[in-house]
Parts: sequence; structure tokens; C-alpha cells
Amino acid sequence: MPSDRVLIIGGGPAGIEAARNLADLGIPVTIVEARERLGGMPIHAQYAALTPDLEDAETAMNRRIEPLLGHPLVDLRCNSAVTGSSGTAGDFRVRVAVGGKEDVVPAAAIIVATGFQHFDPGRETQMYGYYEFDDVITLPDCEKMLKEHKVVRPSNGQPPECVAFIQCVGSRDRQIGNEFCSKVCCGIASKEAIEIRQQLPNCKVFIFYIDMRMYGYWENELYWPAQEKHKVNYVRGIVSEVLKKGDRLVIRGEDTTLGRPVEAPMDLVVLSVGMEPSKGTREMAKLLGLPQNPYGYLDTVGVPLDTVSTAVEGVFAAGSCTGPADLEDSISAGATAAMRAAVLLRKKRAGAEARG
Amino acid sequence: MGCDTSRYAQVPREEKQRLFDQVTADERFGHVLYGCYECGICVATCPSARFYDFSPRKIAQATAREDVDLVYKFMNEDVWDCSQCFSCDKCPRGNSPGGLITILREVAVRNGLKTAKEALEGYGRIIYKIMSTGTQVAPDMLQPSAFPDWGPHVKEISENLPWWRRALPPETLHTTESSWDVSEKTLSELYLIWHMTGVMDMIQEVDEGLHMILMDVMEEKLEEAGFDLHPDGED
Amino acid sequence: MPINVHVVSRSSRKFERDPETVKGEELREQVLELEARGEWIVHKVPEPWITVKNKYGRDKKIPAGHTWHHKSCGQCGHIPGYSTSIFWLHRKLGLDYHDPRDQTSCTAWNYYASATSNAAAQAAVALRNFASAYQSGYYPLIHCATSYGHYKEVRAQLLHSRKLRDEVRRILDAMKRPFVFPEEIVHYSEWVHAMRHRIAERRVLDLSKIVATVHPACHYHKLVAEDAIYDPDVYGGQRTATVSATLQALGVTVADYSTWFDCCGFGFRHILVQRDFTRSFAVQRKIEVMKEEANPDVTVTHDTGCVTTLDQSQFAARAHSRNVGLPVLSEAQLCALAMGAHPYRVCQLHWHNTDNRALLAKMGIDHEARWREFEADVERLKNGEIEYLSWEDADA
Repeated sequence: MPSDRVLIIGGGPAGIEAARNLADLGIPVTIVEARERLGGMPIHAQYAALTPDLEDAETAMNRRIEPLLGHPLVDLRCNSAVTGSSGTAGDFRVRVAVGGKEDVVPAAAIIVATGFQHFDPGRETQMYGYYEFDDVITLPDCEKMLKEHKVVRPSNGQPPECVAFIQCVGSRDRQIGNEFCSKVCCGIASKEAIEIRQQLPNCKVFIFYIDMRMYGYWENELYWPAQEKHKVNYVRGIVSEVLKKGDRLVIRGEDTTLGRPVEAPMDLVVLSVGMEPSKGTREMAKLLGLPQNPYGYLDTVGVPLDTVSTAVEGVFAAGSCTGPADLEDSISAGATAAMRAAVLLRKKRAGAEARG
Repeated sequence: MGCDTSRYAQVPREEKQRLFDQVTADERFGHVLYGCYECGICVATCPSARFYDFSPRKIAQATAREDVDLVYKFMNEDVWDCSQCFSCDKCPRGNSPGGLITILREVAVRNGLKTAKEALEGYGRIIYKIMSTGTQVAPDMLQPSAFPDWGPHVKEISENLPWWRRALPPETLHTTESSWDVSEKTLSELYLIWHMTGVMDMIQEVDEGLHMILMDVMEEKLEEAGFDLHPDGED
Repeated sequence: MPINVHVVSRSSRKFERDPETVKGEELREQVLELEARGEWIVHKVPEPWITVKNKYGRDKKIPAGHTWHHKSCGQCGHIPGYSTSIFWLHRKLGLDYHDPRDQTSCTAWNYYASATSNAAAQAAVALRNFASAYQSGYYPLIHCATSYGHYKEVRAQLLHSRKLRDEVRRILDAMKRPFVFPEEIVHYSEWVHAMRHRIAERRVLDLSKIVATVHPACHYHKLVAEDAIYDPDVYGGQRTATVSATLQALGVTVADYSTWFDCCGFGFRHILVQRDFTRSFAVQRKIEVMKEEANPDVTVTHDTGCVTTLDQSQFAARAHSRNVGLPVLSEAQLCALAMGAHPYRVCQLHWHNTDNRALLAKMGIDHEARWREFEADVERLKNGEIEYLSWEDADA
């Protein structure tokens, strides 16, 4: 008798949403999570607040995580890794390692939700000095400080008087090879800018951008309030270099609306790093034989009308392992993958019973 | 950077289009200009933009938009301000505004634009040096008249030149008219390159006199080396 | 002696490259593929080579010796102690080299200045030189960063265009030369970088009191950027390590300044016919910023145009009471001095404009005595006692 279980690889927003829906349908799931707890990037990277509504990230994520803990249909395996897989749709046998031990989990379907990692700004945009100057930080570095309500210059522990966000770091760049827009950074930078203005009312905040991509409600929920209420300064033009002058940073760019080069001293520079497929995503692609797009993300085969099916029958992909995604995208895809897995499982079971 | 194209209003549109087409026909064109975000990285890194009213972004953008009037204006004026340092190669779209300007300049020279001739005024002796000796700045070019702003030091060098050149241990560096001793065969091969690739024709477009002098120097050497410039019997 | 290579990295973070992000190998593979298809010969880097990492983590081979010296016209013409120092270092390290007469300039200075050339001519000039190197049996080591950068552009153009390859082949055929491309394009400063520990072992001067700023050459690290050397231990892997790591190995203190990324102001045509731009840029954006922020004893760079521009531009600025007066050297000259080279017979510092005597004194060099020796050499040349200054004379 084939298994009636669905194996979910990755316990971030998409994986959690898939597990919740399957468990609610009465389908047993196994979640394989590499880290010590569920929650994915919002928890692991210590996000302060979720975009766009600024709800506390931990509170919001826990609302989804807690029902899964101790759920009779949820077999949760943290600190674990998928090391191999055999079989076909309806009858996969997946090897899962925890510590030094390995066992085989039978599963009718697999949902890959292994997510993204933040672009490492030391890799190619060296001129932003992330590994040279402590006062150059990234969006997730800033999240951690916002969470602790302690936004300071790492070099001296003092609150900054002037902060610059640089957009599109590691995204939309042919030279880096990441030709895609990471979709969320404009909103997150604006959100963080608002939070900095709230926590440090005397701090000036600038966002240097190529295009502000605030689709849908992010426009009036983030962009307009940031500009109108919180007086965040948006400068159209991207920064070419971050330099050190005395104990401050200097950013250089062109103010393209004025058409002249600008140089401005800053206390803190936040690099709006984009998304790249996580190491887990790249590993699962190889292990499960899933085709990847040129950027390393998992290819889904039926876009735009099917966002979760992969080239391997019975293996679905959801969330930011398939490309840059915000939380809403990831949750939607997680639920869709759960539905496709449930349908497959029912069909296989019906087939087995008919042959019975 | 000025975008006023009225100065060239009398130039027929067809002529501007013809030159523009030569730019886009260059094999390198597709790799120096993809599209433009107008992000300004090229301007931010550009030394010339700090000194002149000059914008590599506008040149890239005008070319991408196929604004042949504006490109014609840039080709006539702005391109000569570029420092060719290629700081602008940082472009996230993979453009090379500096490389685009190389092509724009080349088209200006090849077509003998008046502004190109003006830009190269005073530069002929340097073209002569590089094309005839294979080295760009020879020791004997260090003359106070050529570098008045470098101070009395240049005079000191020029007065001591024969001795100071002999006081150089590498045997190839005892020259004064070229940067090092370039062999005759090497020179004849260099001349062959200039002839076979149409560079001599470019020189003729911008400086007839220089072309004559260079031809004088080259023809004999090419003949001596046994290189036939007209193998098909053309003249 | 332990060598500290942590050059002005002030970050607590440490960059480690994800092996999956290493790139640049595909270009070398394309060069080799054209050889496999019989289109050209690939001139292989001779053993022994030293491996360095390029900007994106690729292993790049730097030949130790047996090199064909692609000289720089600006160095040989106007700052000949630069080229002489490179040769002297080879001699002192016991490395075999060839200084060819069958070499032209890459002619790119003129091309970037005047555009009185074209892609085919530029590629043919490059390939003529490469053929000469191959036929000599020595591997090309390129003294000029513009040649280095330009040849990499030529490589990309040749790989991209069969038409260009055919045109260049037609020209090489006419001169009966083989169609050869080198496996790696190597700049002399990369050779110095690879040799820096050997150079440091042989140093005879204490340079620990010397503070230097570094100007990385645009055509070295911006033009076809991926070939430049980077090292996670130097500037956290965020700027090229070339020159800075060498100075650090010599025990020099490398000081930072905020316009390190700026061009020197050379401008190709500007240095020759529009020097108002060159002077202003070199003085206001480079020399004065260095003086104000780091107050170094010397600024060190690794290309022809940068040495010339930064050095010569200071004279006129002095008349306007600008904050100038900073000696400019190539790292090749500084390495040679550190190993005991004669400042005038080898490094030929009398060709430099900005006064460097205070620097020499601080390095422990008796420049007055050395100058008297050089003047005596000139006297011997003038009275016919010697025809030229030989390498033996230079080390006497």
C-alpha cells in the first residue's frame, strides 16, 4: 500500500502553510527543517516586523507555527536534512538524516519549500564595502537592530544621524547574473525606513533607488506614508561607491533628477540585498532532479497558471525556492502546493483501491 | 549636459541617420549598449562628469532611444570629453558607456566630421609618433613647449636627454625618437596593419597632411619588407 | 618574518566566497575551445606558475619567469626607471626574461585618445605582439595596464566575432605569423604581487616608518574587471589586492583615502591636449585628498598614465599654493629600492617631477651620495669612457 503522507522540505512560511492545510485535510505530513525551529527566514533572520502591516514578526509567525507543534498528523523533524530520494509519484522513499542517524520516510508527494538566501554583497558589489566598514549593513542586519530597538552604528554604538538605503544590491544586474527584480526590497527598505524614523525621530533617512517597485497596496501602505508622514527622502539614482572619510561613510551617486554627481556623508548605509536561491534549494534541485532556471531557482513548469508543479511528477515547489517572493506569494504557493499534493494523493489512493 | 541640437539643424536628417546606422552596425555595439535604467552609476563614477557638463548616462540613453539628432550632437561634441577610464563599466545593465563613446568617436573620425578634426588639432604629432614608431610618447617629445605646465623639470630632461637615455641599463631603451628600439621588421608589419585595416583611410579623412607624411615614411619600408599593398593590381 | 596582509580592513566581518559563485573559467575555456577547433594556438603559461585568485574567485596562473616583456611606451619614454626596475627585479630574483625589439605598443593610448584606429587594427596589433612572444618562446608579461585591459577587450571581441578572427588571421598570414592567444593576460603588477614575499625576504631597507596611499589603475581593475587579483584578507576582498598586498609585505603602512576609486585624471587625450582637466582632477580629487586624509610619504600605483599624471600634475598646482608635494612611485620602483636598487641608476628617479628626496631619506637612502654617483656616470658617458650604463654599472 503506498504511503498517504506528504513530505515537506523546509519549514518557512510556504512549508508551514502547506503543512497546515494538509493537516487540516487530515493528511499526515513530515516536515524536514534544517534549522532548530520552524519559521524560516522571518524567524531565523530575526525580522522585526512583517511587510507591509508591520506586525511583530515573531508574534505573527508563532500564530502559524504553534498549531503544528504537537499536532498528531505533523511529524516535525528539525535539525534534519533530506539526503536522498527514490521512487515515483505516490510512492517516494525519502532518506532523512537527523544527527548521525538516517531513516527512510515513505511519502506520496514531496513539497520543496527550501526558500532563499540574502545576496552576499561581498560577492560582486565590492564597492559597497560590506566587508570593509562595519557601518555598512544589510536589510536583515537592520531588521535585527530594529527588533531590539537599538539602531546604532556598529562601529561606535551611537545612533546614526543620517542613514542611506541603497536599492537593487545583487538584483537587476547583468554583471552579477541576477537579472531579476527581488520584488520585496523596495517595500522592506521603505518599511525599515519608517521604523528607523519612528525609533530615531531626529535621524534623516534616504533611499537611493533606480525604480521604486511598490506594486498593489504597498504603494499606499508603505511608499506614500514613508514619504508623506515619515519624511523619508527618496533620491532617484543609485550609489556607485561607499567610501570612508574620517569616521563617517561617504556615498557617491548621481541624483538623476538633477543630472549631477552627488556625494553625501552618512553614518549608516543599509544595502537592500536581494534574494538568491538558498543552498538548500540548490541542493534539493540536484538531489531530486529538479530543473533550475539560469539563476538557480527551481523551475515550475506551468506558469503562470500553475505555480507549483515541477518537471518531476509528485514533487511540488512553493515559495521563494522558485523565485523572488513576498510573504503573500509564499503563503499562496504553499497552499496551492498542498492542494496539488492532496489531489495527487487521493488519485493514487483511488487508483490503488480500484486495483485493490 | 546640453541637449540642444539646434546647432546641427541644417545637417540633413539622412546624414545623421547614416552615421547613427554606422554606430549600431559596429560588431561591438550589442555589447556596449543593452538598455538604460537611468540609474546614474556611470555618471557617479565618471571623472569627466565632475569637470565638464558631460553625462555618459545621457549618451547611452539617447543612443538607446535612437534619438539620432541628439546622438549626432553628442558625436560632434561631448564624446571628446570622455576620459576612457571605463569606470562606467560598473553599469548593472552591462553597458559600457565608455565603449559606446569609443565607437561614436570612431564613426566621427572615419567620416571626417569637422568637430573631430578640431578635436584632433594639435594631436597630429602624437598620431604620427605612434603610427610611425609603434610607441606613443617618445623621450624626445618631452619638450618645454609641449609641457609648459610641467615646469623646468621638462627642460632639464630635454637638455640631458642623450646622456640620460644612455644611462639606462636595459639595452632597448637607449632611444630618443621612440620609447624603445623597435626593429625594422616590426615596424613594417605595423604599417601593414594600418594599411590592411583601413586606418590610413581614417587618417586621410581627418588630416590630409599627416596622411601624406605617414605614407612617405611607410611606403618605402613596406616595399623593402616585401609587402605588396595592392596584390589584386588595384591602385 | 611574519607578514601581515590585513590591509586597512576595518570590518569585523569576514568574506568567504561560496564556491558556487566562482566565475570566469568559461572565458578561458572558450579560448581553449578555439584551439581545439584549430582556430588558433593557445600560448600556455610556462611552469612554474603561481596561483592567485581573481575578482570572482577563479584561479589565475601567474608565470614566475621565462617572460616576454611587453613594454609600455609611456613608461619607457618618460619614466624609464619604471621598466628598468621591473627588469632589475627579475635579474635579482634570478628569473629569466626577454626584452624584445620585436614589440610595438598596444597603441591603445592613441586609440582611447583619438579613435584614429579600429577594432581590426587594434586586434591585429595585439596578435602580432602575441605571435612574436610565442615565437620567442617567452610568455607575455604586460607592463602597461592599458595594454592589459585593452588586450582583454580584444580577447572578448575575438571570442565573439568570427569575422574579426578571420580578418586578423588574414593580416597575420600576410606577415607569415602564427595566430596565437595567451592562456592568461598577465599584468606585471600581478607578477610583483605573486613575488611579493620573495621580494620582501630580500629587502635591505626598513620601510616600517613609511606611509603610502595606493591608487589602483582604472584599466587594471575596472576594464574587464574580473581578471584583477582579489584576496579576502586584503580590504576584506572588496578591492583589488594588487599593489596594496605588496606594500604590506614590504612592511609599508598602507593608508586609506576616500577617493581611492577615482581615476587619476589621465584621460588619454586630456593628458596630451587638454591638461587643464588632468591637472585639476589629479590634484583636487587625488593628491590633495590623500594629503588631507592620510598625509602619506608616497603614493604608489601600478600603471604608466597614473604615475605620469599624479607626478607631473603637481608642479602647476604648487604655483597656486595647493596642498601638493607628494612623491609618486610605481610599486616596481619601490620594491627595487627596498631590495637595495640604486635610486638613479635603476629607479631613474630624476625623471620624476615631484621632489622625492625626503622620502628617500626617510627610507634610509643617502640620495646625495647616490646622485653624485649618477652624475659621475653621466660624466663617463659624456667623455666617452663608457658608451652606455650597463647592468653591472647599475649595481656597482
